[in-house]
Amino acid sequence: MSLTVAARIARRELRGGLRGFRVFLACLALGVAAIAAVGSVRQSIETGLQQEGATLLGGDAEIQLTYRFASDEERTWIDDNASAVSEIVDFRSMAVVTRDGETERGLTQVKGVDAAYPLLGEVRLDPAMPLAQALNGTQDLPGAAMDPVLVARLGIAVGDRFRLGTQDFVLTAALIREPDDAGGGFGLGPRTLVRTEALQSSGLLAPGTLFASAYRMTVAAGTDMARLETQATGALGGSGLRWRDSRNGAPGVGEFVDRLGAFLVLVGLAGLVVGGVGVAAAVRSYLSEKTGVIATLKTLGATTHTIFLAYALQIAALTGIGIVLGLVLGALAPLALAPVIEARLPLPAVFGIHPAPLAEAALYGVLAAALFTLWPLARTEQVRAAALFRGAATSRLLLPRWPYLLALALLLAALVGAAAWLSGLARLTLWSAAGMTAAFVILIVVAAGLRRLSRRLARSRAVRGRSALRMALGSVGGPGSEAGSVVLSLGLGLTVLAAIGQIDANLRGAIARDLPKVAPSYFVVDIQTDQLDPLLTGLRADQQVSRVETAPMLRGVISRINGRPAAEVAGEHWVLQGDRGITYSAAPPNGTQVTAGQWWDEDYSGPPQVSFAAEEAAEMGLQLGDRITINVLGRDIEAAITSLRNVDFSTAGIGFILSMNPAALAGAPHSHIATIYAQPEAEARLLSQIGNAYPNITMIRVRDAIARIGEVLRGIAAATTYGALATLVTGFIVLIGAAAAGERARTYEAAVLKTLGATRRAILLNFALRSAIFGLAAGVVAIAAGGLAGWGVMTFVMETEFSFEPVSALAVVTGGALTTLAAGLGFAWRPLSARPARVLRARE
Amino acid sequence: MPDTVVSLQDTRLSLSGNAGMVDILKGIDLQVTRGETLGLVGPSGSGKSSLLMLVGGLDRATGGQVRVLGHDLTSMGEDALARLRRQHMGVVFQSFHLIPTMTALENVATPLELAGRRDAFDRAEAELEAIGLADRARHYPAQLSGGEQQRVALARAAAPRPDILLADEPTGNLDGDTGEAIMELLFGLRDRHGSTLILVTHAPDLAARCDRVVRLVDGRLSDAAVQDAAE
Ligand SMILES: Nc1ncnc2c1ncn2[C@@H]1O[C@H](COP(=O)(O)OP(=O)(O)OP(=O)(O)O)[C@@H](O)[C@H]1O
Ligand SMILES: [Mg+2]
Repeated sequence: MSLTVAARIARRELRGGLRGFRVFLACLALGVAAIAAVGSVRQSIETGLQQEGATLLGGDAEIQLTYRFASDEERTWIDDNASAVSEIVDFRSMAVVTRDGETERGLTQVKGVDAAYPLLGEVRLDPAMPLAQALNGTQDLPGAAMDPVLVARLGIAVGDRFRLGTQDFVLTAALIREPDDAGGGFGLGPRTLVRTEALQSSGLLAPGTLFASAYRMTVAAGTDMARLETQATGALGGSGLRWRDSRNGAPGVGEFVDRLGAFLVLVGLAGLVVGGVGVAAAVRSYLSEKTGVIATLKTLGATTHTIFLAYALQIAALTGIGIVLGLVLGALAPLALAPVIEARLPLPAVFGIHPAPLAEAALYGVLAAALFTLWPLARTEQVRAAALFRGAATSRLLLPRWPYLLALALLLAALVGAAAWLSGLARLTLWSAAGMTAAFVILIVVAAGLRRLSRRLARSRAVRGRSALRMALGSVGGPGSEAGSVVLSLGLGLTVLAAIGQIDANLRGAIARDLPKVAPSYFVVDIQTDQLDPLLTGLRADQQVSRVETAPMLRGVISRINGRPAAEVAGEHWVLQGDRGITYSAAPPNGTQVTAGQWWDEDYSGPPQVSFAAEEAAEMGLQLGDRITINVLGRDIEAAITSLRNVDFSTAGIGFILSMNPAALAGAPHSHIATIYAQPEAEARLLSQIGNAYPNITMIRVRDAIARIGEVLRGIAAATTYGALATLVTGFIVLIGAAAAGERARTYEAAVLKTLGATRRAILLNFALRSAIFGLAAGVVAIAAGGLAGWGVMTFVMETEFSFEPVSALAVVTGGALTTLAAGLGFAWRPLSARPARVLRARE
Repeated sequence: MPDTVVSLQDTRLSLSGNAGMVDILKGIDLQVTRGETLGLVGPSGSGKSSLLMLVGGLDRATGGQVRVLGHDLTSMGEDALARLRRQHMGVVFQSFHLIPTMTALENVATPLELAGRRDAFDRAEAELEAIGLADRARHYPAQLSGGEQQRVALARAAAPRPDILLADEPTGNLDGDTGEAIMELLFGLRDRHGSTLILVTHAPDLAARCDRVVRLVDGRLSDAAVQDAAE
């Protein structure tokens, strides 16, 4: 009964159109759109990864081995179980070009393939030609295709020669696209594609060199991949093989996209919350305009319930419109930007309308709208019929009755719960929610305090005679003050931005800071045992080389801990992901800090012992005496942990998680690594000297490697900043909304002040001071809260040091203050230019 | 200096309404001398308020001349007009027009402050005391009754001791007794400070208390009705 009446009232009230609701709609639509867009892009990529899983993998399934090719037994199993097989080797090396007596060198990730490659998809070359033709090369030289970036760096052209190890190749084409390049931009060097056979005489695949081999298989359609995996590990198990199949073609990448996407959705949610403040303000000002109507309805006998319902229905209808607008925008924007996004992604993406992320965005929209409009709506109950005869509405902050408070709490819990559940980042979500709520409460308290303080200051003798300041303070502290809405919206927006600014600056700072003061110039790998002594002798005689460190290196996979599969014991710890470098040493190397247990005797030759990195051991729950099984080159070695030591990975020096006694690894073919500390001006000379003398050796410029890692981190920071852009724009709209809402009041005030003899300058100064006061209060809170949030994220999520970044903070606050000022002044134009007579007459 | 403080010559005002231009004042000639109390009467919509706004410099004439205290208002900029008002004019409206975000005291002190008086607040306090509202000084307009608001507005207009007081139906929104009290205050202020007063009113008994009454009909001064009430 009351519902139909309420619906009728609602319809009549909305007949006036949506003009008064622009801010409401914009805030809601923008917040929903940002979340929907981020979610859609993420879904597009995930769908792409799924659909292209097999192609990305290069086959239906893949068995990966490190450091060796498959044994005959393994190869037989693979051939028996696959309809087609392709063998791949992959390793880092240097591509060398000699031109006019000068040598040019470039780090490259070499991929050797057989004739069956690629099993799926197609290799694109420039000039276009079949892969076989490109790799066959010329009569006397094998061919190679190379990443255009490397082609340019080496300054060569199609038809030119270059060298890998001791083997010459002719460049036959630029490699435009590998179908199985899920890692894409994430690899350490640009790609060179050759025939594996052609590498036989390069000296690069000698035992002990760091290479990985992979056996891609296609299988009959409908094969149960999970069963095949079990069979493979059963038949070949324990030999250090890694299995991947098309169920998850690009695991690392998929996870990365997933987490980054979830994080950006959270950033979008922060934007929605900022928009929520605008939504709340819009509803409050709409309802305060309706005070007369509500009072009249009450005198006519409408119950509070009916009235609440009537306005709730209007808000619900508007929320629906806002969300639909947001969804349309959020779904279409990625489609429109698809070509741009695709060009920048090293990943396949299937752009389209994805219902799941849209539903998620809509859910957030509904919950946020309900959360932010319920309180203002509850105030309709507090309108007394007598309001009709007492002009101004009370501006006191009245708490709604308990059922509303309960509903508010439930809505908040639902919103946070949904975000925690759907993002999969529960901890981060809860912390963010707690942070936002804290900022919210702080800002409300600060706004109230600001009003009190302003009121008191306006009365103080100190401002007597400074009329503009006194008037500004008076209006900040007086009835109908905008302090609440402006400080809240501006403060929340700035807090989010300040937090992101701090995180961003700290991330960048961490990259620069964690770069060691004395980083080595080169990280050298693949040094053969017989090359080690001559190399070291040469380097130690070099005046410009200050230090050289070397260590033997093998690679292995930790397969079991105390006899149980390692993953069962230590979960998904990074030390268990893939293979690890292992070294051996008779005595603890210089500077080693053994924190527990004891290093073996120099001539120890009993059962294998291992010294484990202390921090990682603690994280994995390993203790002295635990036994770990390490698969090295297909051979299982079980060793007891007899000591723990500190390993510092931040210096870019040599650091191994695992170090064993020499006898344990005796006979296993291996190479050595070295770090060379040299003066920067000697770097180019060293590269060519060592490169010429030892063609098989790969030298990685540490500066380049760090720069690449920095690039990835900066990319993440940039994505975050873009995400924050939605928050910024929303905050801006909220501010404009607040400024516009106050325009009528200011126009009237300006007219009266003019009547009393105020010049436009004095009035403008008064308005500007108000904005400045708001901007300052919001800015101070934002710096404090943003700094705190930044500290929390850096300390607990990134687990690195936090240092307060004043420049970023200052930029945020200045920007915020200027924006408020601009919005305030922009909306002062009408008040200032209006003739007082017209304004006052309209109020007669 | 001649004792003419307000001088209108063929003053015209046209406003663009919904249905094109509307001629509101159609050529007014009027002189007001120092210390005089002029009553402005006429039917509703005849242009009384408009005329008062022009004299106060709150609106700009679209034709003719408006001279106040020797200044040609039609050629003055908005800020110059504001300064002139600040020093020489006080305006009282039918619907008070107090600034809602300021207390009674602050409302009264504002014009004094704008005029650069160091003792603005003490003067304002005294002014409120004089009209019997000292205990309401810290109330906001929304917390005052209509009569109280109008008394504050009156104190605000009179506080800077203006040469000219403009009052547009100051009792129009108030009941008889309250209106009476306001009028007593207004005339009292005029007498005490010797201000020139231009009073728009509908009430015959108030008109009768003026030195002179002019009648406005359809944007023109109606000669027939101009009368010398006093002498
Ligand atoms: N902004 C405007 N645009 C067009 N016409 C207007 C405007 N403001 C007022 N008017 C018209 O100007 C005329 C004079 O208005 P004014 O307020 O001066 O009359 P008044 O004599 O004061 O009337 P009252 O006794 O009712 O106060 C009226 O007809 C009114 O409709
Ligand atoms: Mg009038």
